[in-house]
Amino acid sequence: MKAFWEGLWTKNPVLVLALGLVPAVAATTTAANGLALGLITAVILVIAAFINWLLVPHVPDNARTAVKLLVLIVLVVAAYSVLLGQNPAMVSSLGIFLPLIAFSDLLLHQGEGTDGLTQVVLGACGRGLGFTAVLLVLGIIREFLGFGSIFGQQIVEGALPPLALAASVPGGMVVLGLLMAFVNLVSKRGGELHD
Amino acid sequence: MTDGLEILAQTVITGNLVLVHGLGLYALTRYTKNVKEAACAGGTVLAGMLVGSVLLWLFGSLIPAAPALQVGFYLLIGLVAGLITPSLLKQEAAAERRAVDSALVGLLLLLGREGITGVYNIWMALGAGLGYLLVLVVMATIRRRLELAPIPKPLRGMPILLITAGLLTIALLGFRF
Repeated sequence: MKAFWEGLWTKNPVLVLALGLVPAVAATTTAANGLALGLITAVILVIAAFINWLLVPHVPDNARTAVKLLVLIVLVVAAYSVLLGQNPAMVSSLGIFLPLIAFSDLLLHQGEGTDGLTQVVLGACGRGLGFTAVLLVLGIIREFLGFGSIFGQQIVEGALPPLALAASVPGGMVVLGLLMAFVNLVSKRGGELHD
Repeated sequence: MTDGLEILAQTVITGNLVLVHGLGLYALTRYTKNVKEAACAGGTVLAGMLVGSVLLWLFGSLIPAAPALQVGFYLLIGLVAGLITPSLLKQEAAAERRAVDSALVGLLLLLGREGITGVYNIWMALGAGLGYLLVLVVMATIRRRLELAPIPKPLRGMPILLITAGLLTIALLGFRF
């Protein structure tokens, strides 16, 4: 369970390792987008971790990046196809950030340790849930500041023009930076790049 | 030619892939510790974007009709461009990780979504790559100054970098209106 908790909090991919920043900043304009993209990424992360655990030890070092990316491309195309049939509005709302999961640094830069299958899958579940939780929190904050609503439910009428920037990409960078600083303050970390 | 230059100007500044579309943030946070490293990473991705756009131009007639397969096609072009660019530039194998970047693949997906084809692909790739290189070099310069600034501990490192990038983007957005 240590691997799970590490992925969820102590080595959270977004807040601590600064991975998966592109979807965190660009695709969390609403809570629904953040939750959807987080969950899809988490599922692909777990399946990819399992397939890589089986495949990668048998692949030469210089071909590992290509094999990992091919696995991710196949999984993402399959997910895209299924989601397009089930919920085309969501696919349209996520735009290019749904296919971009295949090139997410969160999935590409996960370790290639010699851990057992349970450890690998638990670690991927923890990272996936940690990633989803951060995307959801960012989505809630940005949707509230930008549109005055949460999950489409209007909380306050209208939005203050400066705060509406929270729903844009630069606003996302500022909100994520402040969220990281808050987590650093709470966990008494910070001061360096955690890579 | 005028159209090409217009596209170039738009993609370098007002449609910058990193700052306006939020792509390539891995490079922005990892390869901006000094100007040389930033220029090297930016140059590699610029070359990758040009290679990707040329591949897209050459194989554009093979784009499948089904939307999911189209997405797969663009991802595969991105993968091939990212993997062969370091060899073309005679860089070491580790450069693969620099070349396989979300900005490169994001650009190809944007080209597909906007229906941009032919030689305009290459103008877009050149502009996007130059914009990417510019942002990385500017951030590397700012980062050096940030290291000397008295910043509260929780904000040091990644938080202040993201906030600075956000404020830089807000300034750039001023050119749009």
